[in-house]
Amino acid sequence: MKEIVLEHTLPKVFVQVKDLQSEVWNQTVTFEKERLYLVEANSGTGKSSLCSYIFGYRKDYEGRILFDGADIARFKTSQWVKIRQKSLSLLWQELRLFPELTAMENVDIKNKLTGQQTKQQIETWFEQLGIADRMHAKIGRMSFGQQQRVALIRALCQPFDFIFVDEPISHLDDTNSRIVGELLTAEAKRQGAGVIVTSIGKHIELNYDKVLKL
Amino acid sequence: MNLVWKLLRQHISIPQFAGFFFANLVGMTIILLGLQFYTDTQAIYQSEDSFMKADYLIINKRIGSLTTITGKSSAFTLPEVQDLDQQEFVERVGLFTSSAYDVKATFKLDEGTSFSTEMFFESVPDEFVDVKSDDWGYQQGSHEVPIILPRNYLDLYNFGYAQSRNMPKLSEGILSAIRLKIDLAGQGMRDEYEGRIVGFSSRLNTILVPQQFMDWANEYYAGTKTVAPTRLIVEVNNPTDDRITSYLQDNDYETDQDKLDASKQTFLLRIIVAIVMGVGLVISILSFYILMLSVYLLVEKNSTKLENLLLIGYSPTKVSMPYQLLTIGLNVLVLAIAIVAMLAVRNVYLEMFESFFPDFETPSITTTLLAGVCLLVVVSILNVIAIKSKVMSIWKRKD
Repeated sequence: MKEIVLEHTLPKVFVQVKDLQSEVWNQTVTFEKERLYLVEANSGTGKSSLCSYIFGYRKDYEGRILFDGADIARFKTSQWVKIRQKSLSLLWQELRLFPELTAMENVDIKNKLTGQQTKQQIETWFEQLGIADRMHAKIGRMSFGQQQRVALIRALCQPFDFIFVDEPISHLDDTNSRIVGELLTAEAKRQGAGVIVTSIGKHIELNYDKVLKL
Repeated sequence: MNLVWKLLRQHISIPQFAGFFFANLVGMTIILLGLQFYTDTQAIYQSEDSFMKADYLIINKRIGSLTTITGKSSAFTLPEVQDLDQQEFVERVGLFTSSAYDVKATFKLDEGTSFSTEMFFESVPDEFVDVKSDDWGYQQGSHEVPIILPRNYLDLYNFGYAQSRNMPKLSEGILSAIRLKIDLAGQGMRDEYEGRIVGFSSRLNTILVPQQFMDWANEYYAGTKTVAPTRLIVEVNNPTDDRITSYLQDNDYETDQDKLDASKQTFLLRIIVAIVMGVGLVISILSFYILMLSVYLLVEKNSTKLENLLLIGYSPTKVSMPYQLLTIGLNVLVLAIAIVAMLAVRNVYLEMFESFFPDFETPSITTTLLAGVCLLVVVSILNVIAIKSKVMSIWKRKD
């Protein structure tokens, strides 16, 4: 996948809203590979909705979303499965980890599906993010900040053309935020992928190619 | 352990699945047992008389003292036969043809011992005799004639003659191997034939030869083609039909009443087995319902996990598989145990059957097994489809 285009995309709940000030909603926006985007938003402006629409999880919008010119509203189940395994990665704001599994198992359940990363690489990331000692702890027993880092590692365990990270550092200190930024950009660069970061305030300090106000 | 299974087995309710398991086991066992019991009992009825179906009746005119005095014929006239044929309960009617020539049969048991008796032949149309066509027929000029004997003859010999003279009892098998010398005489001719016993009938109290042979022999030895029939063989669609009894009474006809009772018994047995199997089927359907409810509840409880698996790239097929395998596994286990249970119960009643009916040949269980497997396949396919569609409903979450 080379580009993602939002063509007058607008959440249905915003249809009635007059004077909508947005650089994304109801505009034509193009996300390209190998570029860094920051989508800044206030609460309730539909940041997570945007991620859900692009990930094919929700369809309550008007307008169109195109992957390389193809309208995603028409994608079949099998196409979405393939896209979620090979083209798009998403770090959900609510993380969507499995509390019954350990940190490592949460990463493994994805990596076994894609076979993307080596065990060694994953362990290195755990170390770099300072959670190596929590590797075999149940997710349910970890703090949200620790869970965010596990979710990031899981998001990196697949091939992708674009990676969406929805408020990835909301519960992290500056040092860990910086490391997250480094890992994210390094892996995206290695894969030649586009990165879209969303934020409602605190955001990773990176050299963004474009900043959009939602 | 497979991580997906580790996740999805959460919330599996052992009591619910045990409930399904035992309910289905009971249902499946009843169905299999009913089917097998029916097959086994059918074999008894068939072994009793393989040449005549239970739905055949043999009808003759009542012979009273008046008949003897007035000399009124006991033979059926053509209009009488036609009238019978037009009755609603009748499928088809066949005429008994009697021999119009002399028959003498000699049984040679061993050197020195032989029976010799005057007798008679009768025949019915071939379609009423259920013997392979190779065995049942006559080539003109041949000196071999297939014969069906009444089982009474064998009983008479075994329990009367052999008993009193300390001679060995004969089974049907041995007797079938013994050749019968038959002398036919008429119109100044006398020929010797060899009778080949193809079987014994408890329903036909007569010595039966193929129709073809009878027609030829009547013409050859007696110069006549038709002899007015005194007995009719009738195929009815339901032997328990009350109209049969009233028709027979109205016309002063008789039938082999106890056989009518026997066919009533088979009919009743068939109904009872059908009811029992119906109950088994209902239990199975209910247990299937329990299973589906359990699985739905399980999917519902684990819907977040399932959704997250779908969102990190697992396909609905892959996510459905653990539950599908679980239900298929349970179904297979149920079938296996039900088969074992069925065989165990069957062994008990087979012993009884064998002591009552020495000639009883154990029928195969293939049909029952096949039915069990078919049921398993159908139920499993329904399970698989239901689970997949439930997972798909999570995939297509309503916004």
